[in-house]
Amino acid sequence: METSITRPMTGRERVLAALRQEPVDRTPVCNPTSVATVELMDLVDAPFPDANRDPELMARLAATGYTELGYDSIMPVFTIIQESSALGCKIQWEQKDNWPTVKMREPIWEDVDDIAVPSDFLTHQDTKCVLDAISLLKKEYGDEVAIIGKTMGPWSLGYHCFGVEPFLLMSLDDPGKTHLALDRMKEATVDFGIAQIEAGADALTLPDHATGDLVSGEYYRRFLRDLHIELAERIPIPLIMHICGRTVDRMGYIAETGFAAFHYDSKNKPQESMEAVDGGISLVGNINNPETLFARGPEEVSEEVHRNLEQGIHMVGPECAVPLQASIENLKAIPRAVKDWHSGHAA
Amino acid sequence: MGQTVDIGRRIELVPLDPYFGDISIALYRQQVDSGPVYQVYTYSRRDGVEDRIAFVGQAMEVLGGMEPTRDGRLRFPCGYEHTMAVKRVFLEACKLDPSQTAEPRPLEILDKKSGLQIRVLSEGAGVYRVTAHGEGKDRERRISFIAGGLMKLAEMDEVSGTLDQVVFPCGHVHDAMVGQLLVRAPNVRAVLREQEAVSSRGVLAAPSQQDG
Repeated sequence: METSITRPMTGRERVLAALRQEPVDRTPVCNPTSVATVELMDLVDAPFPDANRDPELMARLAATGYTELGYDSIMPVFTIIQESSALGCKIQWEQKDNWPTVKMREPIWEDVDDIAVPSDFLTHQDTKCVLDAISLLKKEYGDEVAIIGKTMGPWSLGYHCFGVEPFLLMSLDDPGKTHLALDRMKEATVDFGIAQIEAGADALTLPDHATGDLVSGEYYRRFLRDLHIELAERIPIPLIMHICGRTVDRMGYIAETGFAAFHYDSKNKPQESMEAVDGGISLVGNINNPETLFARGPEEVSEEVHRNLEQGIHMVGPECAVPLQASIENLKAIPRAVKDWHSGHAA
Repeated sequence: MGQTVDIGRRIELVPLDPYFGDISIALYRQQVDSGPVYQVYTYSRRDGVEDRIAFVGQAMEVLGGMEPTRDGRLRFPCGYEHTMAVKRVFLEACKLDPSQTAEPRPLEILDKKSGLQIRVLSEGAGVYRVTAHGEGKDRERRISFIAGGLMKLAEMDEVSGTLDQVVFPCGHVHDAMVGQLLVRAPNVRAVLREQEAVSSRGVLAAPSQQDG
């Protein structure tokens, strides 16, 4: 009797299948957020902050996630500031060893009527850089791996443009105004997302920092669930919701939005997270950054990977943007652990 | 297809080298038959980078009393790993201005806090005794504190029943390393705080944790 030999799936096929909760030949290693490190910047001579503003450098650095680390995805949008910069926020660009940040203590908007998406929003250097980098990556690696873009959700844009405290106070004092603000800001999320699809993105991460330390699950339901349902309908591509922190209390709501996946934090255990989403959405994560990937070794990384795989997590990867000083050795331990685990279970 | 190398466990990193174009330089540890060996490495391909890496390695030999292996790596003559100490020696070597020559530091410093002259005496078999000389305050306390600083920086053990003597677990003499660490021992808390601050750079914080 002859047995047919099937070719392994490409990284792209693997990630897209997992996002649809379809069968895969092995669990994909997926990074919905940055895996850039200072050593990878040196390797390809594409350092921060320039690699956030020059599309060629951005693409070159992002590609190392595949060419050096062996992940099934490439994600070039390292920071959370690209569209906020285009909206007019002041940016602290920092040096190679630190993240550019929005100067949230110098907000650009005070009231809902101030909200305006500039006409050059998609041609601004910092949004266009992302679009051009995605085009470059699609051309070079588009058949092999999933190219993942990123568009920030309106809650995160609210923090950036109004300041964290004023925005949260507005949500307490005037929920109606907050809904209106989110409604207006979401247009930036949609526009930037669709532009990235046109540039060649296979999926988009959509961070919306209704984080566990600031916002309750009930708050999420009240302010964001319906809005996220609308975003999932209007941006026609698999969306990966990203929220840091302890989020089990809102995972059930997130699973109702129509997003393809939720990028979850190590503050949530794999088993309880799988139970919380109850098959409504794929999960991707949740290898701990500050302790495991940054401060420990490949053995501990493997253990965390295996804990995710044992619970049937759909895609494995770091929980958030990895520390810029994380070691290459630890980042490479993720795909190695996934392959080892599958080899062991196939036998 | 990849260009990254498998050269052991990275144990320390200088993310920005101010003396050579802000490249990152790392210290890797490998285990060989004769014990742990260390390699200074960078992924940068910039012209002249080999000389910079060689300088850091040579500075570590002098500042830490290390010796080169046949294949260009570094080890302690005692064959022990001395992890904390070698990390500190690496960081100090990277801080050294390359226009200057690395020189071993004396086993004596002025303790600015007390005004005392601190001398460390090698008693053999890896034991070092901290002594204080001259006019100054808190003599006993400063001796004990500095001995404790050496213990923290070099993972040394206390000599039982004493407050002024510490010993390397390998039982060997390490004058160069002690001289190097003695400079930092009186301010060990500040050193550890600085180390923590440097290593926390580049860890992305949630918006609620950002102070921008």
